[in-house]
Amino acid sequence: MMHGRRKQLSPIAHLGDATLRFVGDTGAMFLFLLEASARIFSSLGQFRKTVRQVYFIGVKSISVITLIGLFTGMVIGLQMHYALAKFGAEGFLGAAVALSLVRELGPVLTAIMITGRAGSSMTAEIGVMRISEQVDALRVMDINPIGYLVSPKLAASIICFPILTAFFDLVGMAGGYLTGVLLLGGNHGVYFYRIQAYMKMSDVSGGFIKSLVFAVVVCTVSCFMGYYTHTRRDAVGPEAVSQATTAGVVTSCILILLSDYILTSLLF
Amino acid sequence: MQTNKTPDIRLEGLTVGYGKTAVVSDIDVTLPGGKISVILGGSGCGKSTLLKHILMLQPALTGRIMIGSHDLDKLDRRGKHCLRQRMGVLFQDGALLGSLSLGDNVALPLREHTRLDEKTIRQRVLAKLALVGLDEFHDYYPNELSGGMRKRAGLARGMVMDPPLLFCDEPTSGLDPVTAAELDLLLLELKKSFEMTLVVVSHDLDSMRTIADHVVVLGEGKVLFNGTRDELEATTDEYLRRFLDRQALERTSPRLTMPALDVTVMKRDCSKYLSEA
Repeated sequence: MMHGRRKQLSPIAHLGDATLRFVGDTGAMFLFLLEASARIFSSLGQFRKTVRQVYFIGVKSISVITLIGLFTGMVIGLQMHYALAKFGAEGFLGAAVALSLVRELGPVLTAIMITGRAGSSMTAEIGVMRISEQVDALRVMDINPIGYLVSPKLAASIICFPILTAFFDLVGMAGGYLTGVLLLGGNHGVYFYRIQAYMKMSDVSGGFIKSLVFAVVVCTVSCFMGYYTHTRRDAVGPEAVSQATTAGVVTSCILILLSDYILTSLLF
Repeated sequence: MQTNKTPDIRLEGLTVGYGKTAVVSDIDVTLPGGKISVILGGSGCGKSTLLKHILMLQPALTGRIMIGSHDLDKLDRRGKHCLRQRMGVLFQDGALLGSLSLGDNVALPLREHTRLDEKTIRQRVLAKLALVGLDEFHDYYPNELSGGMRKRAGLARGMVMDPPLLFCDEPTSGLDPVTAAELDLLLLELKKSFEMTLVVVSHDLDSMRTIADHVVVLGEGKVLFNGTRDELEATTDEYLRRFLDRQALERTSPRLTMPALDVTVMKRDCSKYLSEA
C-alpha cells in the first residue's frame, strides 16, 4: 500500500505504473467480492443487517425510481410515437416502449440511479469508517469488517436491484401509456395487446440477469472504493473520502455500461 | 520471566513502519504483565504505529512480538481470533461505530462472540457503561457525545469482554485536565481490580507520572528509554531530560516573542467593532 502523493514519473513509467495498479486493483476487487459473498450467510445477525440494507437501498430508492421511470417512459412514448407514425406503425408503440425498457433502459437506468443514491453513500460511509479507525476497531474486536460492512450490502443489492428494475419497467410502461395513449390519442387496447404479444420470457429474464450483474458490480465497486480509501494516492483524510466516492460512482457507471454491452450481445 | 497472572508482551528485535519504510527500529522491550506500561514520545515518533503492530493490524518489518509464549507471526488463524477476543482497545477518538447507539457499540463484541441472551448482554453493557459513568447515555449516538464521553465509551467497549490485555491510544489527548485525571484514575482502578496488563500510548507526561509502572520512550527512530517511571525521572540522559523538561517549559511559558499582527495589513478594517463606542 502506497502512501503520500504520487511521484513524478516519465510517461512510459506512468503507463506501466497505471497498468500494474489496474491489474492489482482488479484482482483485489475480485478477492474482495469473493470474501463478501462467502460471509453473506455467516451468521443470523447478517439477516438483520441485510434487512436494514434492503430498506436503505430498496425502499428508500422507490421514489427516485418512480420519478425517473415515469419520465423515461413518457419520453420514450413521445419519441417512439413520432418515429413510428412516419411508417404508420403507431400500433407498435406498446411493444417498442416495453422492449426498450425491459431489455435495456430499465436495468441500466435503475443501476445508475441506485449508484448515485445508494452506491455513493456506501463508499462514503465505509470511507469515513476507515479514516476514523472504525474499521480497525472492528478488526481488533475480531469482527471481519468485510463480513460486517459489505456482505449485508451485497445481499441487499442482489435482492433490491431486480425488484427496483421491475418497478422501473412497470412505471415506465405506464409513462409510455400516458403520452402515447392518453396524450397523443393512441389505442389503449392495442398498446397493451402489443406488449403481451411481442414480449417474451427471455426478454424479462435477460433484464433480470443484467440487473443482478449490475447489483454485484455497483456494490462491489462502491464498497471496495470506500474500504481502501486510506490507500489512495491522490488525497488523504476527508478529501480521500470524497475522491473515493467520485471514483466509485464513475467506475460503477462505466462498468454498468461496459457489462451491459457484453450482456446484451450474449443474452439477446 | 512471566510472574503475573496476565502475560508479558515481549518485543524482540522489532522494526515497525509502513510498507518498506521503517519508523522505529530494533525494539527490544518487555512490557510486564499485570502492570501499566506507557509508551511515550513526541508526535510522529511511531508510538501509534508500534501499537498497530502489537494489535496485529500491520505486520512487523522485522523481529517478533510475543504475547506470553505466543509469537504473533506464527499464530494460526484460530489463535489470532482467540487472542483478539482477549484484547481490549481504546482508540484515540474512541472509534465508536457512528450508526450504532452507545449501548449497541458496547454490546457489539458480546453479540458477535458470545451466546449470551439479550437480557444478560444489556446487564453487562450497563455495568461497563456505569464503570465509566455513562450508563445514562445508553441510547445516545456517538455524535451526541463530547470527545471525553466518546473516549470513555470506547473504554467501556474495550472492557466489555473482560480482556486481560487493554491497549489505549492517547487516552487523555484532547481532554480537559479534570477529565484526563479521571480517566487516569479509571485506568489505575482497572489494573488494580482486574489485574489487567495495560499498554498506554501517550505523549502526556502528567498522565505518565500518574499511571505508569513501566515506561518506554521512543524518538529518533529508536527506543530511547526502557525502564520504570522512577528510573526515567532520575535519568541524566541529556536528550531525555530535554524531552521531559521541554514539555513542562512549553506548558508554563507561552511564547510571546512574535509582535502582534499590524491591523493595517488586514484586508478588511474591523477595528471599529473591537473599540469602545
